[in-house]
Amino acid sequence: MVLAFVLLAPGGPSPVGSGPCRVLYARSFGPPPQGRLLRKEQLLAVARQVASHCHLQQASSGRPPAPTLPEDPAPLQTAPGGLFQLPPGDPFPSRVTVTWLAATAVAFALVCEPHENLVLAEGTLRLLAGRLMAVLRPPGPTVLLRPDAADLLLDRLLPHGQLLFLSQRFLQALERDGGAPWP
Amino acid sequence: MGTAAAESFLKQAREVQEDELSRFAARVAAQLQGPEPGPEAADCLQRLHLVLAASKSPRQLDAQLMELLQAVLCSPKCPEQIQLLCAAVLREMSPCDGLHLSCHRIHDTRLLSLVSSVLLAQGEEKAEVSAVGQRILKALEGRLPEGQSSRYLLPILSNVISLSPEALTEEQTNVVSKKMADWLRYASTQQGVAQPSGGFFSNPRARQPGPVTEVDGAIATDFFTVLSLGQHYTEDQWLNMQTFSMLRKWLLCYGGKEMNTPSSGDKSETDRSVMSVVPTSSASSRLLPPKERLREKAFEYCQRLIEQSNRQALKKADGDLQKACLTEAVTIMDIICKQDSSYVYRAASFLKILHGRISGDATYARALLPIAQFFLNHGEMAAVDSDAIYNHLFTDIPAQLFHNSSLAFEFILFCKDNSQLFAETSSIFRQSFPNLFKFLAWNSPPLIAEFVDILPFLLDAGTAIEIFHLLLDLPCLTAALDVQMRSSSLPSSERAACDPAVKPAACLEAFRSPLHRSAFQYLLRVESVSEDFQERLIPLRQLLGSLASSPRVTQCADTVPVLLELFFSVVAEFADASLINQLVVLVLQRSDQLYEIPAFKDDVHRVLSSQLVMLCKLRPALIVELSRELLEFSGTVSNIQNKEPIFTHVVWAIGEYMSVSYDKRCTVEQINRFFETLEAVLFEVTQVRPQASIPNYAPRAITVLMTALTKLAARSQDLIPRVSLFLSKMRTFVQSPAVTSVYCEEDREEILTRATELMNLLKMPSVAQFVFTPSVDVARTRFQKEVNDTLPSALRIVTRLLEPAPGFVPG
Repeated sequence: MVLAFVLLAPGGPSPVGSGPCRVLYARSFGPPPQGRLLRKEQLLAVARQVASHCHLQQASSGRPPAPTLPEDPAPLQTAPGGLFQLPPGDPFPSRVTVTWLAATAVAFALVCEPHENLVLAEGTLRLLAGRLMAVLRPPGPTVLLRPDAADLLLDRLLPHGQLLFLSQRFLQALERDGGAPWP
Repeated sequence: MGTAAAESFLKQAREVQEDELSRFAARVAAQLQGPEPGPEAADCLQRLHLVLAASKSPRQLDAQLMELLQAVLCSPKCPEQIQLLCAAVLREMSPCDGLHLSCHRIHDTRLLSLVSSVLLAQGEEKAEVSAVGQRILKALEGRLPEGQSSRYLLPILSNVISLSPEALTEEQTNVVSKKMADWLRYASTQQGVAQPSGGFFSNPRARQPGPVTEVDGAIATDFFTVLSLGQHYTEDQWLNMQTFSMLRKWLLCYGGKEMNTPSSGDKSETDRSVMSVVPTSSASSRLLPPKERLREKAFEYCQRLIEQSNRQALKKADGDLQKACLTEAVTIMDIICKQDSSYVYRAASFLKILHGRISGDATYARALLPIAQFFLNHGEMAAVDSDAIYNHLFTDIPAQLFHNSSLAFEFILFCKDNSQLFAETSSIFRQSFPNLFKFLAWNSPPLIAEFVDILPFLLDAGTAIEIFHLLLDLPCLTAALDVQMRSSSLPSSERAACDPAVKPAACLEAFRSPLHRSAFQYLLRVESVSEDFQERLIPLRQLLGSLASSPRVTQCADTVPVLLELFFSVVAEFADASLINQLVVLVLQRSDQLYEIPAFKDDVHRVLSSQLVMLCKLRPALIVELSRELLEFSGTVSNIQNKEPIFTHVVWAIGEYMSVSYDKRCTVEQINRFFETLEAVLFEVTQVRPQASIPNYAPRAITVLMTALTKLAARSQDLIPRVSLFLSKMRTFVQSPAVTSVYCEEDREEILTRATELMNLLKMPSVAQFVFTPSVDVARTRFQKEVNDTLPSALRIVTRLLEPAPGFVPG
């Protein structure tokens, strides 16, 4: 199961924007920790780790970040991304695996339980990222004011944190039946 | 750009004051109370959500608004967008006081899903989770009202059992297992019809849909799976897809012998020791209990998926799905075999064939891991020779695919999960550690934490030396891998070079030249070798110098100090005398055979020097046994410049441990020999040539030399006059113009003070002997960066003794 989905602005040394790492949208599916504050801290901790890995990978690949907004999901196939683990207690009670993907000025992450199907998780994340980038333009500020658009996509593609084995046709059927997100 | 705008929104939202929020909440309430909440209501809710989400500390919303949100969420006429926003706000406020929401009276399954998302976010109230679970079960068992789809239900159930597996009784899990078996195996193989209520595909005449197809376009000839394609899908086909999506979790939770055991590792199933070679036929399977029947259908489903993955998908996305399905199918088969060993024989032969099919295909490399895991778990029972599988996995895969970061990550996790395998010395797992380090060398940031966990399992008396060298050469390995990749003919832009700006033409040539071939081959070896070919790497390190500043190499270099410290802490636990001595000699040797990355060398020297002292503490006798090497090292003045930390710590160790109380074999001759060597160095270092300028020797080196000489003299008292004479000249040294221009005042003070203290001490030889020849007491010294930590207090006592201070009592 996916414990959380996070959309963040990595900030930091990226030439596009500077400033601290910010969570722009997050959805939790796992057991709620004690108190609301702790959940936000958990998600921020994940976001910071993602931002750090993002910057490190960008540095090591030697490639400059993509200057323009990708128009369709296809470029996300080669977008920077990766996997890492967070140890038990820091910040989730048990060990988790995070899969992340970076696009222009934003990054996406799924926090998964251990032994999750990571091939499926990566694919789902790419799908979510692509749909979100297409719907929310520009992604950063827009998602702040349109959590419903993000919720709609998540409810469809990752309902209650369940990763789905969706073929292209199933995906089309899902989106056809569900209708487009509102303007 | 976008980030600045986002930052500004967040700031505004955070700074909304309590009273402003109350006013806004009232406005929202007014909007929601209207007959049909519209776009303005949506806008308000969106802003409200932002204010709540952006605040670090919880905000308060008044009870009336909370009531309204719940009511609007559940009202049938409310637009979907408003419902979503109400749910989002309620989740943001969770855990909510006085939540009245209940799922029991909701019949719309889509709304049920939305309300469940709020209820499941509430917190530790298992009762709420359980209530949601019961409602979903009721919906699954009964007939749904007209127009309702069951496709919303299973994901909710999946979430429920993750949060609270005990929410379902055994009877209930049996009921669901039975349905799942049917959904998996007997979903329709005809495509669904289009919704008649309009849309692109609507057609008043009921068109006969065709059969579903495979991913390559062929007509499907067997039962429906997630890899079956259609234009529209029927309800049972949706349930098929969702059942498979949660199947692994369900089996882990409820498939074992004991109820609600989350782990599948229980061995209780092995008491069914009779292996059934004859597969259970479908006819008799109706008679199986629900759990067993689900297992059987699940197994068949997995077999079918594996067969379907052999087809060439027309769409890339479907090809990716095939790979995900393959991984999942093998994993589920593994779980089924753990729960019922009568499946092992069938599964093993099937998976062996699968392995044969995909082992040559790099795009299927990740699927090799669950296959290997299966054979590790069950290979013995199946009497299948799986060595070829492990060999291929550990020998070929890392060498070819080290740059695939997802594979690298999963591979290392696989090693962590099976760390007990590395305990066997002769096994392929243990022997292939050079290959494993390639993953780390290329993908350092995500893998370093995982490597810290597996390194202890790789280390033993047989591998320690080789791994020591490997760790020191890790960034060099990164560079070599880069050269290897550049020289291979694959043009894929994903395999980005270390640093495109650098054109290491010399490296590429070297890689292809016979002269350096063997060096590259050694560095890039796939297996541990017993011979030591380290000398071959000396010219290679220089050659690869042009890549030393590339980001990937420096990221790798950053991991080395951590690994080195871990290395020594693990080795200290099992190393015998011979290994300790070997390591000390190697530390001295390797200290100037390091890849030329400045910060890297400094960090490594720092770690090696403190670990050197740790080894000396562990086994003080090595000072005597390795006196030749130590004399040579400490007698080389240039070492003070090139490796000051190591030099300083070596000299400290000599002073500290070159004593008969640590090793009976320590003779006066040896003490004198060391004395002469150190004296010569100190002389060289403090020589003031009027014309020439003084190189800047670290003051710490000077003080440690003085102290070591003093200690040695205390043990061989004939040397005392020589030392005292030397120390008395330090004032002249410190005050000479050449020295004042090179050393700062603080450092000169320090040198002079130390010289004075030592001289004073030597005026009382018996005290000096006492201070410098303590009983061997392990707890006495916690060695820190400053080598002379323990000395100052002793010296201060003595200095006060020598000063006229009546009534002072030592101790």
